[in-house]
Amino acid sequence: MVREHTEKTKPPRALFVPFPFGYAMGRPNDPELQHRVLRAALDLFAEPAGPVLRDFPDDAEPGDQPPAPVQASGIPTTAGVPEDPALETTQMRRYHEQWLAASGGRTAFGLSGIPATRFRGVVRFIQSFAAGEDAELDERPADVPLPNFIRYCADDWKTLYFEGHMAMKPAAGGDEIARWFWAETAAGQLLRRVRDRLDASDDPRWKAAAFGVAR
Amino acid sequence: MPRLDRLPQLNRNNLLMLPVQINDTAPFTRPTRPLSACRLAIVTTAGLHRRDDRPFGPADQTYRVIPSDTPAADIIQSHTSLGFDRVPTMRDVNISFPIDRVRELVARGELGTVAPRCYSFMGAQRDLKRIEGETGPEVGRRLRSEGVDLALITPT
Repeated sequence: MVREHTEKTKPPRALFVPFPFGYAMGRPNDPELQHRVLRAALDLFAEPAGPVLRDFPDDAEPGDQPPAPVQASGIPTTAGVPEDPALETTQMRRYHEQWLAASGGRTAFGLSGIPATRFRGVVRFIQSFAAGEDAELDERPADVPLPNFIRYCADDWKTLYFEGHMAMKPAAGGDEIARWFWAETAAGQLLRRVRDRLDASDDPRWKAAAFGVAR
Repeated sequence: MPRLDRLPQLNRNNLLMLPVQINDTAPFTRPTRPLSACRLAIVTTAGLHRRDDRPFGPADQTYRVIPSDTPAADIIQSHTSLGFDRVPTMRDVNISFPIDRVRELVARGELGTVAPRCYSFMGAQRDLKRIEGETGPEVGRRLRSEGVDLALITPT
């Protein structure tokens, strides 16, 4: 959704905010800026007529992040990437526990329904799938198709790494973390192969999951 | 959301090719009471839901209910698009679901109440028929029956 879309759709009251995708209310953990955005949106309530499209009266974009995130396909792999994703995951879980302690339990983890303590089994499942085998996991609910479940596992796995990285380097932005993940981790390289297998399928549900794993 | 001219060419092209509903005008309802007496619900297209709820799948035009007393720490995201940075949401879900900010406005007396339930859809969709014909109106009816005066619609 960009300003050009809103101009065509014409919702009754709309506020344009000049922030990167993923930053709708301004900046994370910045209640003052978030309140200014919210107040500007609620001020539209007093408009006498519509449709109305206003610009947030603050042109200060958070300039430390690109407007749209870099995709895996745009990040080359560096030399010397660890070979064992299971061992790497165990190491990252320690950092993720630090993240949980520092964030008061706030985590984006939880789409697969499998706890982090049992995630080495998920890694074996993902390795098996990437290798072209008939991979399956008992924890997959009967009503969740395999490609969707793979995407949820991949998202949880990325969350362990991303949040773990934020525990290691609290000031790192999304762009830096994504570049690290896709260039330097065994998990990133394995998910590229998962993406390739999903994308090679003729089944549109598999292709859609490939898009969600890594573009 | 970013200005189009600041995006890489590929993103610009994808966004401009996105089918968008074109309207000449919009239904417009004037408030009948001040903000300090209004009830507000957040309706988000950020693909958020409670941790134990069913995640969104590709082209999913259903919605999830997020009770307004759900702790922010228990709200997670299963949006399928890779076109946005997930790190800000990992750090602070208020970045697209400003429930703590809304609660603070109520505590200050600037806003009347938070509605009992908020609602969540997945965005970045191309086929919207079911949202337009079924799930969107259903959420509209639920908001009305829950006495909501204001819907704050937030993307990711």
